[in-house]
Parts: sequence; structure tokens; C-alpha cells
Amino acid sequence: MAEILRRVLSGSGAAGPGEENTAEAGPPLLLLGAPGSGKTTLLFAAALEVAGEGRGPVLFLTRRPLQSLPRRTEAGLDPLRLQKIRFQYPPSTRELLRLLCSAHESPGPTPSLLLLDGLEEYLAEEPGPQEAAYLAALLLDTAAHFSHRVGPGRDCGLVVALQTQEEADSGDALQLALLQRYFPAQCWLQPDTPGTRERCLRVCLEPGGLGPRAEWRVTFRPDGEMMITPWPTQTGDPSSEKGSSSGGQP
Amino acid sequence: KKKEKEIWASKWPNLFGEYLGNSAGSEQASGPSTESYPRTVPDEHLLSLKFVFGSSAIQALDLVDRQSVTLVSSPSGRHVYQVLGSSGKTYTCLASCHYCSCPAFAFSVLRKSDSLLCKHLLAVYLSQVMRTCQQLSVSDKQLTDIILTEKKQEA
Repeated sequence: MAEILRRVLSGSGAAGPGEENTAEAGPPLLLLGAPGSGKTTLLFAAALEVAGEGRGPVLFLTRRPLQSLPRRTEAGLDPLRLQKIRFQYPPSTRELLRLLCSAHESPGPTPSLLLLDGLEEYLAEEPGPQEAAYLAALLLDTAAHFSHRVGPGRDCGLVVALQTQEEADSGDALQLALLQRYFPAQCWLQPDTPGTRERCLRVCLEPGGLGPRAEWRVTFRPDGEMMITPWPTQTGDPSSEKGSSSGGQP
Repeated sequence: KKKEKEIWASKWPNLFGEYLGNSAGSEQASGPSTESYPRTVPDEHLLSLKFVFGSSAIQALDLVDRQSVTLVSSPSGRHVYQVLGSSGKTYTCLASCHYCSCPAFAFSVLRKSDSLLCKHLLAVYLSQVMRTCQQLSVSDKQLTDIILTEKKQEA
């Protein structure tokens, strides 16, 4: 799934159906960031990207309807693409589990991408490790079933957004380690250069063993528009992987 | 560490196939093969299984011998494994990734991280390679209940 995000972030957008976009989806990806770090916006951008590929619809699971459609710099909000994004709003963990377990019963075209926003809200209802593993495993199993249904050479990708806490306790760390076992690829959204009027984020993509790690800077302008640029220096210092305070120099 | 993550993302049956020196890995994409003759595991591999997985290996082979592993599938093509444990309880193992509903998986694998898998998962992977799974066909609706209700046993 890292490839989709890489395309979104690199602005090399879907040129149309076919082409190299038929590549396999890659390992399931966990999108991590603090509240308001733009996870939903990035998920939605991934949805639009895949919706423009001429493949199956995108299934977007989230607890509640999006407040507003995130703005995009390009002609992303094409109605034809929007129509291919199917939103479903499971109101509780139980309903989410039911939806995933019965995914094979639903008729209609098979999704080419499965997205879940706000995993933390569902996990908060049933915080045990087995419950978290069950939910993660079911997400993978559902995507695997969709992949099986679309046939050989095509996969259903999976991206799940999880809100991280500013001050994670040991329980959060355990839960994250557990989820990382199921989601080999990760994308971290970290706040950068606080204090300016524009919100800046450092986006770090670790594609799970299939390629080099990559970084971008995402800026949300005051009017809500999202600007993406490659991270200036690709130093890739592994020591400051997590600390949001360590990235002092832009 | 990366290897471990790949394993969690559904590589186990392939690993077993490669390791035991047959082509079982190739059936991964299309689901279990209909070919049903049993295969055997050579002695030297049995020894290394025991070396890697300890007592779980013996217990898992015992489950395989007693034909305790059932592949449950529905017309949709989705499938799941059920393993009848030695206690008489049935546990559900997801087919596409590493998950078993038993307490040992919750404790030793998830909570303590001191084992890689439980005997039920090992039995599933072994019986995939050895092609000794029982087969059961159910309706799509019944399969939903099987995947879903296994949660309630634990709650």
C-alpha cells in the first residue's frame, strides 16, 4: 500500500486506467499521527487516487461522516471518482466486526482498496491485546478475501489510520507493537516547525522492506489547501525516528 | 525483525512449503488445492520442527494425526480454519494471516511474545502442507457466524 501513498505524496497521480498502476498493492499499511495531523486527508487522497485507476470501488470505513471533503490542489474532486468511494459508518466495534466478518456476503463490485479511519476509537471500546489482534487480523482477512475475489494479478490494498497519543503510556506502546506485526508498512505524520500560521508536517513512509524509506513535507495553508513537497534533505537519520521534538532544523 | 513482520503478514504457509521442500506454497493465491492426497513430513524435518517449536510441535502433529483441522469454506471463496483442541473446544484460525482464538495465542504470542505461534496455528500450517485438512462447505451466512462468534467464546 505504500506505493499508493508514495504516488499521492509525489504528486505523480494516476495517469489513467492501466499503466503501472496494476502493480500489486503491497503489504497493509498503518497511517500514524497525532490528532489533527492530516490522517483523514491523506486517506481520502489515497481513496481518490485509487478511484481514478479504473478498478473497483474504494471502501472507506469510518465512525462518522467526514466533516468536510478535504481540499486537493489538483482536480481531485472529480465526481466520477467520488462516486467510486463507498462510505460506511459502523457505529461501534461490534458493528465493524460484523461488517468485516460478513464482507463476503455483500454483492456488487469487489473493492480495490479498503480504508479504515479512526482505528483508535474502535480499539478503545475493547482494549485487550487479543481484541486488537482480532480486529487487525480481520481487516487483513477481509482485504485478502477481496484480493481473492478480484482474481490473479490484482490485489485489494489496505490502509488503516490510527491516532497516536502525544504521551504514549506503556499500554499504547504494546498495542502499537502488536498492530505493527500485522501492518508491516507504516507512514508517520509528525508535526514540524510549530509556531507558524501554516501547519507543517513531516511525513515519513516506511514501506515494509520493499523499498527505501521516503520523506515529504506537507503544509496545510490557512485556507485548508494541502501542499506537498519532498523533504529537503534525505538524510534519513534513524535515530530521530519517533521523537516529534527532535526534528528541530528544517 | 523484518522477517518476523513478513511472517505475520501471511507468509507462513509459503515458508512451510519451501521448508518442507514441496510446492505447497503455490496454492496460496487460489486457496487450498482440491488435490487431496496426504503428504508426509520427512524425519529430519520433524526433528527440526521439534527444535524450533518445542512441545508445540508434538502437540500440533498430534492434532494433525487426529484430523482435527477443518478447512471451512463458503461459495464466496472465503475460508477459515477450525481446529478441535485437545480439550474439546473448537478454535478458529484465520486463513490469510496469523490469528488463532485460543488463550495460548492471546497469552504467549500476543501478550508475552515468547512464542511465535500456538499449536493450533502450527497444526493448520502443517496440515496445509501435508494436505490432511478435513473439508467443510457452509453457506456464506454460516461462514460469517463462524468468523464472528469465535470472538464471543473468549469474551
